[in-house]
Amino acid sequence: MSAVQAIPRISLLWLLVAQVLVIIPHLAHLPLWIVALWLVCAGWRVQIYRMRAQYPATWLKSGLTVGIVGGVYLSRGSLIGLDAGVVLLIAAFILKLVEMRSRRDALVLILLGFFAVVTVYLFDDRLTTVAFTLLPVTGLLAALIGLQQSPLQQSPWQPLRLAASLLAQALPLMLLLFLFFPRFGPLWSLPMPDQRGVTGLSDSMAPNDIAELSRSDALAFRASFEGAPPPRNQQYWRALTFDKFEGRRWSQSSEVRWTSAPSWTPAGEPIRYRIIMEASSKPWLFGIDLATTELERTRLMSDFRLERREPVDQKLVYRVTSWPQALREPTMVKPAIRRVLQLPADGNPRSRAWAQQLKDQYPDPQALVQAVLQHFNREPYFYTLRPPPVGENSIDDFLFDTRRGFCEHYAGATAFVLRAAGVPARVVTGYQGGELNVSGNYIQVRQFDAHAWVEYWREGTGWTSVDPTFQVAPQRIEQGLEQALAGEQSFLENSPLSLLRYRHIGWLNDLRMSWENLNYGWERWVLGYQQGTQLEVLQKWFGRLDSGDFVLALVGGGGAVLLLVALWLFKPWRRERDVHQRLYLRFERLLARHGVQRQPGEGARAFAQRAELALPAQLGHIRAFADAFEAQRYGGAPSAPDHLQCHLRALRRALPIRLLRRD
Amino acid sequence: MHTKLDACLDAVNQILLGKEPQVRLALTCLLARGHLLIEDLPGMGKTTLSHALANVLGLNFQRIQFTSDLLPGDILGTSVFDKDTGLFVFHPGPIFAELVLADEINRATPKSQSALLEAMEEGQVTIEGATRPLPEPFFVIATQNPVSQGGTFALPESQLDRFLMRLSLGYPAKAAEKALLLGEARREMLPRLDAVLSHEQLAALQAEVPKVRASDAVVDYVLRLVEATRTQPQFAWGLSPRASLALLAAARAWAFLAQRDYVIPEDVQAVLPSVVGHRLRERADPTGHGGGTLVQWLLREVPAL
Amino acid sequence: MAVFKQRWQRWLQRRIPPATSVLLTQRRIFIIPTRIGAAFSLALLLMLMAGINYQNSPAYGLTFLLAAVFVIAILHTYRNLAGLTLHAAGGSPVFVGEQATLRVRLSSNGRAHQSVALGWPPQDLQHFDVPANGLAECELIVPARKRGWLRPGRLRVESRFPLGILVTWSLVDLDQAVLVYPRPLAGDMPVAAGTREDDEDQGARVLGQGADDYQGLKTYQPGDSKRRLHWKAYSRGHGLLVKDFAALAGRDLWLDFSELQGDSEMRLSVLCHWVLSLSERQQPFALRLPGLVLGPDNGQTHREACLRALALYGQENVR
Repeated sequence: MSAVQAIPRISLLWLLVAQVLVIIPHLAHLPLWIVALWLVCAGWRVQIYRMRAQYPATWLKSGLTVGIVGGVYLSRGSLIGLDAGVVLLIAAFILKLVEMRSRRDALVLILLGFFAVVTVYLFDDRLTTVAFTLLPVTGLLAALIGLQQSPLQQSPWQPLRLAASLLAQALPLMLLLFLFFPRFGPLWSLPMPDQRGVTGLSDSMAPNDIAELSRSDALAFRASFEGAPPPRNQQYWRALTFDKFEGRRWSQSSEVRWTSAPSWTPAGEPIRYRIIMEASSKPWLFGIDLATTELERTRLMSDFRLERREPVDQKLVYRVTSWPQALREPTMVKPAIRRVLQLPADGNPRSRAWAQQLKDQYPDPQALVQAVLQHFNREPYFYTLRPPPVGENSIDDFLFDTRRGFCEHYAGATAFVLRAAGVPARVVTGYQGGELNVSGNYIQVRQFDAHAWVEYWREGTGWTSVDPTFQVAPQRIEQGLEQALAGEQSFLENSPLSLLRYRHIGWLNDLRMSWENLNYGWERWVLGYQQGTQLEVLQKWFGRLDSGDFVLALVGGGGAVLLLVALWLFKPWRRERDVHQRLYLRFERLLARHGVQRQPGEGARAFAQRAELALPAQLGHIRAFADAFEAQRYGGAPSAPDHLQCHLRALRRALPIRLLRRD
Repeated sequence: MHTKLDACLDAVNQILLGKEPQVRLALTCLLARGHLLIEDLPGMGKTTLSHALANVLGLNFQRIQFTSDLLPGDILGTSVFDKDTGLFVFHPGPIFAELVLADEINRATPKSQSALLEAMEEGQVTIEGATRPLPEPFFVIATQNPVSQGGTFALPESQLDRFLMRLSLGYPAKAAEKALLLGEARREMLPRLDAVLSHEQLAALQAEVPKVRASDAVVDYVLRLVEATRTQPQFAWGLSPRASLALLAAARAWAFLAQRDYVIPEDVQAVLPSVVGHRLRERADPTGHGGGTLVQWLLREVPAL
Repeated sequence: MAVFKQRWQRWLQRRIPPATSVLLTQRRIFIIPTRIGAAFSLALLLMLMAGINYQNSPAYGLTFLLAAVFVIAILHTYRNLAGLTLHAAGGSPVFVGEQATLRVRLSSNGRAHQSVALGWPPQDLQHFDVPANGLAECELIVPARKRGWLRPGRLRVESRFPLGILVTWSLVDLDQAVLVYPRPLAGDMPVAAGTREDDEDQGARVLGQGADDYQGLKTYQPGDSKRRLHWKAYSRGHGLLVKDFAALAGRDLWLDFSELQGDSEMRLSVLCHWVLSLSERQQPFALRLPGLVLGPDNGQTHREACLRALALYGQENVR
């Protein structure tokens, strides 16, 4: 290799294009000044190529590096962690462009580019994004091809076409590797992408919190059932409970966190399903009523919620078994009962008074609960996404003045009144309902399905769930939020482009459903294709497998795929000489075995004449074949290989059998 | 028609004994509308061959003896002032004949040589501004002594390329020479030769030749031959496209003479030495006449099929 | 090491015997990853680590896609060389100290071949593109350091196209040789003793071409000196004519090896100088080497014969 090899124009072109394409999917989590940096660097590089600018001097390069490290620190608050790391990687990727002189530098840039594409996936692994990243990969390959071309090549499309065809040919082999390459658990732990921006349930609840959340149509999770899914009004996806009330805000007391799961008894038919959860950056998982899972490092907490030891920072797939009719915590110790009866010392006097009145009226807790629910049903309460603001005494204001609220208002008020009446109760948040995708047999639960309801406790029967919202707006439970808000037109009013707003348009909805299906398949079968799923899938297809089978599949399958690609590339059948020549070759070999060897410069007729002299007994056959060959090959007679073959067979029969050449 | 051609061959072979292959090649050359160069020592029957061919084919015959003092005008003709009419009258030179024998062409100065060769190439003569067409058919047989002889001007390569074939008659076989000595004087037999073909018949035959089928396989063989001369190191230079055209045309005529309506590689091989021999030089000896060994190499090594 | 090298050469000799034209087939082509390929593999390993540690399927996917591209590139790299035919197309003689040019013709047998590199390592290889079903004429340069036949040895033909991560190469012996003449060295004219005495100054006898006496014009023939072209006539459309001079006989020069002092290389260099300068002047001369006499004669052929004799003097392998 010579000292410095200049970078060909085409390669530079594709490198610039690929760089834009690499950076685009990163834009969501890059500071804006990176874009400015890219524009400056790309312009500079183009000017260098046109010999109108110099390569940066060493001091400038060091200055830029320090500046960028400082910039990353300022905009990300740290230099470690995935976020800052990616910004640094992209910055290096951009700076290297200006500094690049030789082919070796270009190569470093291309490899950096591939790595930058991988980091895209850590932040965003949607089907569309992954499909988009094929573009920068193709561009980078085209740049790599351009590096090897001679500078005389002019067409920039040729390397691109070649890159695309290379990728297409590599696809079968890639699928094979993807299927059979054994998956391991993480080898060591690495910083995870920051999910602060993710919307979802939070660990406390104030009036209007869930109403806010309901404006988002982001996906929370999907659940796919082995059998038929339970009816909609039983789909109460529990996330967490609140047992502490501070006048306005419901939250969780710290004791719940540290005590382990109390006793419970399974009863009734269990429901089995699988949940594919979106990243929530929170540790709790979702399940219908009382749910158990075999997921590692996950346990059932004292309020029967599922919690993982670390937050869910990436998509998570887990299997769940739910026991809706289980008997939960039939006995409770005193301090625990005190905890679920806790109320602030003062505030909401009207509600307390009403509760006292109810308590006197209904000594049986169950009757009391029914009375509260009846109240919501009978009195003019309204279900709305736009509740009027409430004052200091939030429960009083809601119950007696405004009478308009979202689920958290009803749940919060119910729990308050029950506690004030001496019935242990707590607020539960989670999701209710979801959209059934019929063709895929799974339910999609979105943020606007967020819900809050109430559980109360009785000695002996344990915890029982009740939903005050059902009394006010039964459509919310039976059909969904959109129907419940039909009169108000407030469903997703801030996102006019959301396809979910147009569910009433048939074809559009079908299209959306198919797209959802595709995404579901992508998440279930591709993103979820890790250790467990891999074994499950492969065993379903191929029966029991051991490590030897994996190696065999990779090597054998890879060889077969490679052979097919090679056949397609080289097309050996095309190289085969035409049929006349092949038959003549056989004629020649036959005669060679009998001592008559054709010289390279000898024509068919001359050879035949010589052969006739050497083998006078077979004169007729030799002449017949030679004449037929000559007529077909030179004389314009119609091509008739079987005719030639016939003569050849006759000649072979006429000659004594001899397998080896006679010299 | 073919019987007529055979009759022609027989008649010429009666005169020129033991030279069947050369006579056949000469007739091939004529059928392919090419010109012929015969290179041999004096007295080998060059003139006899030309004369016999002319008589048999019914062509009018002119002979130009090239000497070092021959001027272009002696070949092409000159304008002479006619006192009676007061006009210049053109007196056509010997080139205005159907078969021209340019005897010992290498004795003349290059200037006279090129006058003949240009006329051959263009089929017309331009003298004093007037263009005069040469007769049709027009066939030149040039003879030359081997260049090693003293006092000669060798034809340069560019001129040699204009001859379709170069033949060498060589010494006759013993039996043939004996017959020659015992028999009648050849020159006396010549006038008795009758024309076998008329002009129209000859023209028709010549028109038939390009229709002989040359299949892809044969054309590929010609290409392989030409390619070999261009790539193999022992060749000082490769054959020109004009040479490959000439080779195929001659092979067609040869096949036609053999009463076949298609060309086979053997036809190409039969005409190869005479068609390309004078167009090739060995790299090791670019001034000499290594064509023969090169042709043998081509015949031996280039795959015929 | 030497034993190994010898074996390797012998094996190559059997595998790819010398020939003036070599078709590259799978028997004659070797392939291994390059350093770029190693860097590429390292990058793939890093990407795989990211895929494993983040349990990220798209990262696995991209890693596998690029790994598969690596494997497919084996076929493409091989294909860029396979089916190529190399023909030796000769070379012109040079003098010691000059760069000898060897011509190689690459011909494609169907598809196009891009960026095929030819050369004799450790010199830099030169890159050529061969169009589909076409030819590429390559002029390769080798320094001529010694007089005699210059045989540059096995020609390395390699290709890294398309990705540069693999290199496929072959070592072919095109049986090429270039004649290297001695380096011309100015010195006293080594005129043989005795020839001058024979010189009878009895008028001049015309002896073919020479440089002495103008005789007239003649048509140009290949081999005639370009310096004698009659350009005026050419511009008037009379074709290429050369001015013809006749040499006067009786003044033949005899360049004699034994008349010179010094070692034989030196003597050959001086002789070479005189052969060149006398030919330049179109002066007939004769060359006398131990065991060999050429001439007296003049002209291109004679010059070449003399130079060839000088180049090959004392060498065993005279082809």
